[in-house]
Amino acid sequence: MRSLSSAGRIAIFAMVGAFVLLPLLQTIIVSFVSTIPRAGIAEGHFSLVNYQNILHSAVLKEAILNSFIYVVLNVALCLGVGLPAAYAFARYGFVGDRQIFFLLLIFRITPTVVLSLPIFVLFSQIGLENNPVGIALVHCVFNIPISIWILESFISAIPREFDETAFLDGHSLPSFFVRHLIPAVAPGIGVTAFFCFIFSWVEVVLARILTTTGGKPITMAINALFGFRTDLGLVMAMTVVAIVPGVAMIYFVRNHLAKGFVIRT
Amino acid sequence: MKSYDNKAWLLVIPALVIVTFVGILPLIAVTNYSFQDLFSLSNPYWVGVDWYRNIVTSERFYASLGRSLLFSAIILSIQLPLGIWIALLLQRSHRFVVSTVLILITVPLVVPWNMIPMIWLNFINPDAGLAGRMLAWLDVGFDYKFNALHTWIVLVVMDTWHWLGLVVVLSYAGISSIPAAYYQAAAIDGASQWHVFRFIQLPKMKAVLSMAVLLRFMDSFMIYIEAFRINAGGPDGATAFLSLDLGEEIQAFNYGPAAARSIVYFLIVMTVAWTFKAATSARTAVAAEFSR
Repeated sequence: MRSLSSAGRIAIFAMVGAFVLLPLLQTIIVSFVSTIPRAGIAEGHFSLVNYQNILHSAVLKEAILNSFIYVVLNVALCLGVGLPAAYAFARYGFVGDRQIFFLLLIFRITPTVVLSLPIFVLFSQIGLENNPVGIALVHCVFNIPISIWILESFISAIPREFDETAFLDGHSLPSFFVRHLIPAVAPGIGVTAFFCFIFSWVEVVLARILTTTGGKPITMAINALFGFRTDLGLVMAMTVVAIVPGVAMIYFVRNHLAKGFVIRT
Repeated sequence: MKSYDNKAWLLVIPALVIVTFVGILPLIAVTNYSFQDLFSLSNPYWVGVDWYRNIVTSERFYASLGRSLLFSAIILSIQLPLGIWIALLLQRSHRFVVSTVLILITVPLVVPWNMIPMIWLNFINPDAGLAGRMLAWLDVGFDYKFNALHTWIVLVVMDTWHWLGLVVVLSYAGISSIPAAYYQAAAIDGASQWHVFRFIQLPKMKAVLSMAVLLRFMDSFMIYIEAFRINAGGPDGATAFLSLDLGEEIQAFNYGPAAARSIVYFLIVMTVAWTFKAATSARTAVAAEFSR
């Protein structure tokens, strides 16, 4: 294996960057173009009309709101139940701990299409369909395992004496969590929130099957834009809107992305 | 050392309740359906293992299984070496370059899955797309709709675009956890760059890489929405993967057969997970043996 010169490396990175950016560039360009005949704007010309149309559409604005509701709810749920569980796995051995870890692994890697029929059947029977809460709950199936893995690796990195000192100081478990543990694993909580956000935000199979008639998130609202005469510019503008929050999240956790979080199996 | 205390169960219960509710309960419900003919959900008729027999005796199932395995094999053999290679190049780069490349390469990961085929269909459109017009200009006769090889190429390139970032991030996390002392020791021993990779970096990356392999294998093996939107399994069934067969049955509201197929696929997932666990724990045991 020969060592590449610095210029060679930069050239390769530039190629990778171009590969990633070119398809997105096209999307962004089309989002600023008026793609159907309209009074006042020539077709195929630069225009902000697509973004204005999003702001004027109650359906699309509601979809954006729905997406944020279910994602925030999902992240909160996963952190809320994931942190105590991760603490248990990091600090204690108990009956069935390995089996539960294996179960979590299975549900993390099960493709959503495999679970879509079972979940649709169950959720439509108990009335959790067409509602962002349903999506938030369903996405826990792959996000709870993620949050437990990541938080466990961060908690394990803290020496046990840290806990013991706090307990000697008279802290109960809940007050230890709030006063000591959460501040100590704050970066881990950030990384966990990032991954839960991402995986929940991009998932569409379960989101689709649960929102056939209402409560549609951004992704499904875009699907609904396709029709006899599709306004491709509007579709692409919505796509850009759907990507921006994710990119913002990447920017916030950029320094932690590369830091080692080792996933135990 | 961990202390043994079954009270820790109390901390795990909330997470388990949710996982049971959204994972285990639906599977139990659907297992029940898989043994019945459900013309409507209120009108079940017991058919025993008929649906399962239909699946495991149909040629189509094995053809789809073969295509899915081939797709996963291609995906892994491209994305894994490429991702590791980029991570290795990053390791010797300036901090600013590292964060720029990592940010860029993870952007496709945050694109919702139904928009990925849309972005790509637009990109390779021969009339309007940047790549499509380029290919038309080169006159290569590119036709992803009716040429099976071209459909496969689009799917592989699109999937690589989508997921390469995950492999790079995981590999880079593995590499950057190696203490500098290891490299210094290797330099004193006069180890070549290949040896450093083979005997220091690769073993240290094993934990994250095995996770990357598992995730990439499973997601490419059951690729659904991306493959469906590109060519709906065509041309002529050339890209009909396992999940597309399942999607078709769900869309047609064939509850019984779709339930049986979901269970069959879930059993495949469990087998893969179990094999993976057995393989990684065997390796840990061997490593423990050596380090004694």
